[in-house]
Amino acid sequence: MLQSAMTTTMIPATAPSGSEDRRLAAACAEGDSRVFEEIYRRFGDRMKSIAWNHLGNASDAEDAVQETFLKIHRAATTYTGEASFSTWAYRILVNTCYDLLRRRRRRIEEAPIDDVVETAERTAPSVDDAKRMTLRKLLNELPEQRRTVFTLFEIEGLSHAEIGQILGISEGNSKWILFATKKELQEKWKRSQ
Amino acid sequence: MTTVTCAQLDDLLFDGSPLAMETAARHAEHCDACAEKLADWNEIAATAQSMRATWENDLLWPRIERAIRAERRKSPRWLWQVAAAIVLVVGLGATMFYALRNQTRDAAFDRDILRISALDEVERAERSHIAAIDKLENLAEPKLDEAATPLMVSYKEKLMLLDDAIAECETLIEQNRQNAHLRRQLLAMYSEKRQTLQDVVREDPNAATP
Repeated sequence: MLQSAMTTTMIPATAPSGSEDRRLAAACAEGDSRVFEEIYRRFGDRMKSIAWNHLGNASDAEDAVQETFLKIHRAATTYTGEASFSTWAYRILVNTCYDLLRRRRRRIEEAPIDDVVETAERTAPSVDDAKRMTLRKLLNELPEQRRTVFTLFEIEGLSHAEIGQILGISEGNSKWILFATKKELQEKWKRSQ
Repeated sequence: MTTVTCAQLDDLLFDGSPLAMETAARHAEHCDACAEKLADWNEIAATAQSMRATWENDLLWPRIERAIRAERRKSPRWLWQVAAAIVLVVGLGATMFYALRNQTRDAAFDRDILRISALDEVERAERSHIAAIDKLENLAEPKLDEAATPLMVSYKEKLMLLDDAIAECETLIEQNRQNAHLRRQLLAMYSEKRQTLQDVVREDPNAATP
């Protein structure tokens, strides 16, 4: 059952950094199932949401999350600790979403994202579904990077510093991309109303 | 109180901080155009915040766990199998390559050695015949020049025929030094000439014709 919420997320944007992150990475490299479960419990919901907002349906989003966990397992030894573990994991997730988007573009076109949203149950009475559908449609028209910056900042509530690390851009660039994206959306939003 | 202008609205939106947004809102209270812009801006942000997706799927974590476990079980064995197969194929390939190369090289070497050695032997025999023929010709020449008997004339004609045949054979051998048939033929001619010259030398000029 798909839901959306007006409130900010209960999940912390990032995990505790430093030695805790390195412990997670080391345990992931060894394939410690309990640690993977801990990561899933801590970041899984946000990961699913990020994937959903990139891919447009729960099935693809779950595939992306699963693929991300496998990639984390394979690449855990390469985690350097420069970014927090969660940021590192989100970066893998976003790249996985890009890969899936490219691979499944045709499939997504055949099952338009609006249909998925329309059938999903939502509990956000203050903003109607029509507005969400409009915004989602406008987001789908954006280039990948712009859509990701907007999604991570406005929908997921990540900071520009985190977005910069996830996308490999500077914090200032992330801020600028968000502003330019919102200006573009504002113009289109006005016309669509 | 409000000191910002319409042109500064974008700067405030770019800043995005609570203070900047508050300042923008205060300006918008007195400016319809900016109020409309700000309303759209905020509506987009509010709509976006409602788009966080959450859903429960109790089967997802078990599925991920199974995938990780399968990957963990599979990877090392799979990697070892591939590595072993590569080592085996490369090893066998290299062994076969070197064996075949050595075999080919040995065969070629043997062929060359045999050919060179046989050729040397033939040429040594030829040189031996030529040396003997030269000596015999010196001895036989006076007798042949004064060929008085029919036998000596016959020897002389035979030697002339042999010389022509030898010359022709040598010309052909110049074009193909490896031709064993021509070599044997030439040796036979030299042998015949040598034998004929020996016969000439042995021939007693005073002997009566039978």
